[in-house]
Amino acid sequence: MDFDFQNIVTISVYGSAIALILIGIYAVLIKKHLIKIVIGMSLVDAGLHLLFVAIGYINNGTAPIFSPGYEDAATNMVDPVPQALVLTAIVIGFAVTAVALSLVIRLYKHHGTVRIDEIKSLKW
Amino acid sequence: MKKFFVIALLAILGFYLTIAFLQIPFGQNRLGQPQDEATVGAYYLNNTKEKSAVSNVVTAIVVNYRGFDTLGEVTVLFLASTGLASILYRRKEEEVERINKPSSSLLQTGSKFLFPLVVLLGIYVFIHGHLTPGGGFQGGAIIATGFLLMLIAYQKYHVSHSMLTWVESLAGVLFVSIGLWGLITGGTFLENSYFPKGVLNSLISGGAIPIIYIAVGFKVAAELTGVLDILLNTKEEKSVPSNQNEK
Amino acid sequence: MNISPVHYIALPLLAAFLIPLLSKLHKELARIVPGLVFLYFLVISVVLMQRLETQPMISEVIAGWSAPWGINLVFTPFSGFLVSLMSFIGFLVWVYSYHFKKIDYMPAQKYFILLMMLVTGSIGIVLTGDIFNLFVFLEIVAISAYSLTAFYPGRDGAEAAFKYLLVGSFASALILLAIVILYTQTGTLNMADLAVKMHEVPHYLKVIIFVLFLVGFGIEAEMFPLNGWAPDAYSQAPGPIGAVFAGIVVKGGIYALVRVVYTIFDLSGVGTILIALGLVTMIIAELAALRQDNLKRMLAYSSIGQMGVVLIAFGIGTDTAIFAALFLMLNHALIKSMLFFSASYLLYNSTTKTIKELTGMAKHLPFVSFIFALGAFAIVGLPPFSGFWSKLYFLMAAADAQMVLLIITVLSVSVIEIIYYFRVIGKIYSKDETSELEPKKPTINSVLVMTVLGALIIIIGVYPDLVTDWIHHASDALVNKSNYIQNVLTENLPR
Repeated sequence: MDFDFQNIVTISVYGSAIALILIGIYAVLIKKHLIKIVIGMSLVDAGLHLLFVAIGYINNGTAPIFSPGYEDAATNMVDPVPQALVLTAIVIGFAVTAVALSLVIRLYKHHGTVRIDEIKSLKW
Repeated sequence: MKKFFVIALLAILGFYLTIAFLQIPFGQNRLGQPQDEATVGAYYLNNTKEKSAVSNVVTAIVVNYRGFDTLGEVTVLFLASTGLASILYRRKEEEVERINKPSSSLLQTGSKFLFPLVVLLGIYVFIHGHLTPGGGFQGGAIIATGFLLMLIAYQKYHVSHSMLTWVESLAGVLFVSIGLWGLITGGTFLENSYFPKGVLNSLISGGAIPIIYIAVGFKVAAELTGVLDILLNTKEEKSVPSNQNEK
Repeated sequence: MNISPVHYIALPLLAAFLIPLLSKLHKELARIVPGLVFLYFLVISVVLMQRLETQPMISEVIAGWSAPWGINLVFTPFSGFLVSLMSFIGFLVWVYSYHFKKIDYMPAQKYFILLMMLVTGSIGIVLTGDIFNLFVFLEIVAISAYSLTAFYPGRDGAEAAFKYLLVGSFASALILLAIVILYTQTGTLNMADLAVKMHEVPHYLKVIIFVLFLVGFGIEAEMFPLNGWAPDAYSQAPGPIGAVFAGIVVKGGIYALVRVVYTIFDLSGVGTILIALGLVTMIIAELAALRQDNLKRMLAYSSIGQMGVVLIAFGIGTDTAIFAALFLMLNHALIKSMLFFSASYLLYNSTTKTIKELTGMAKHLPFVSFIFALGAFAIVGLPPFSGFWSKLYFLMAAADAQMVLLIITVLSVSVIEIIYYFRVIGKIYSKDETSELEPKKPTINSVLVMTVLGALIIIIGVYPDLVTDWIHHASDALVNKSNYIQNVLTENLPR
């Protein structure tokens, strides 16, 4: 693979999104602090959403909106589907994070701590 | 030791993901020409203007082509707020005041000033969802941040739960009813062609799409506000080791 | 308004949004409305299954955009079989838990909304013909399941739910990743269209996508080694919800896995992977079940083991094996939910939920103990109960495929199953001492539910022909992939 500008952009865009996903998974698996685990989950989600939007992009494309004056710009527009899907994915990610935080509140109330190594009533 | 395994696992995952995505050059046109309708995206770009009279293609996809997803999405939010209320449920007598330090008068005055503007912006965003970027979810989220501002600034600020229930229920019922209208009139669920289309790029265009997005906006605003309120209304308590399941 | 598959989704959503308002009118409505919805599910199932006798499948488009442009729902004999089963179990769970939280009406309202959406989401997974829509329904199921696992204010519930949530959100991240890659390669999301365009995807990408889907859906289907959440969730959730997890939610996960494997992908060697994973799942789960002293955890591990057998059957992949897999799923749904129903009465006032505490329980609760024993006999596969036939068909399918080692392993695992179930029955019917637990008399509706399930298990055991036709139709529909693709992509709009 030759390292022209196009490849560098590809690698840096996808690379940063994948790095976010990996950092998130790392936090979920290694961190002992419940809030940090939830943050890790959100990072995984964020990386995925970035990937999603990135695959829809077309070089020099415009937003998929037929604004006045751009009614015939369809040939030059980026893929609208990933943008619609990522909206759904973001909302779902929000819902999961909210439930996770409420569970953290419950756990904190019962144990007085948010560290996972001090919470051991069920087998992990 | 565990760290080592995790890093090895992540390296493997990262390697394969990178391989998979290097196959997909960034910015390359994978849609094909819109007229060919080779991919779903191209079909949407080619047909939305005529068939739906909506200028924002993303809105057309979210509300109409893939409106069923959006209905599911709204349900996910509804379930999250229901689930949160059940997870953090406490009986009436246990209800507690929020504890947070009184905020500075600067924040209080600022919030009071900003709150109507934020709500107005949110309403603008979801009313124009079919014309400009944004829509029901974005507008709803903006409105909820307005309420968050008030909840943080004023210790005693109280969101009426029964109002939230009314708004979210009615908005949800409106969404499903518009969907069912298509079925009743002999078409398919969520069908848009039974509504007058209007002129492209005017406020009243796109048939039922703006109505649905406004309903979504109200619903999302109410649900996010409800979630924030529930999370904020949790008092720090002494840990009570209890393992008594009721049934 | 004709009855069509979309009613399965639209009406429960309407009901869910209305319940908070209706319960302001009258508190009992929060309990009654979900029941009406479940009853209506049964009506739709009967009507649609009858319609399937004249046409191969019902494919319904949403929003007037035919596939692949819009989302569609596909009601094949296979999905019809699963949906009818889910509706039936859902209705029984509703009847069983009608008196749940009689005094506390706010939690009861939430409980019934979440229960209804758990069942609706699972039905949606089975009906939808769009891979991203499947993901949305999976999340509907997941969020209701997390909330229901943490439903009791006890401390372990929150912990089990958090564990479930961590694993579940990892699963959905992987599934979403697979969908992203799939979309970039094919430009479509409809499953039939994906199956057509799958040959354009480079082979190594296919493998990556497949592994992502396998791990993601495998978590929902309780596949080893990703099933750590299951025993905790089963044992911490309210009793009837355990039945829903075993009878409905897992079926949704298995369905998604099978749909992806059989319809979208055309990879060779997938069957062997499924057999291997199923074997490991089965052996580890049954060995773990043997070690449990908590009754519900034991039932959960046994459930995982059964899912392992189902995976093996799908992995063998011959017509008879798929028939056996569906029969196993039917039996598992009926018997496991009955076991969970009876177990939650046996353990009603127990705090530790251990098997030890059950000594001599039969004296206090003769009916519930009898039902539990019946379920245990049925699930290990003793004649004349329904479990016998599914196991027999499974072994016959394995024999046809000439997998002797497999037969020996499954039979020896059955012996382990017999040991741990009979240990519990022995404790319950022990004459030496009586349990110190304060027994709770079963309410009339739960007695009714357990009687219906018990009767069904015996009837199917004596006359297996009553259901085999039905299951044959279902398995034929699953095997016939081109028929599915053709019907989805050429359907006409109802106008």
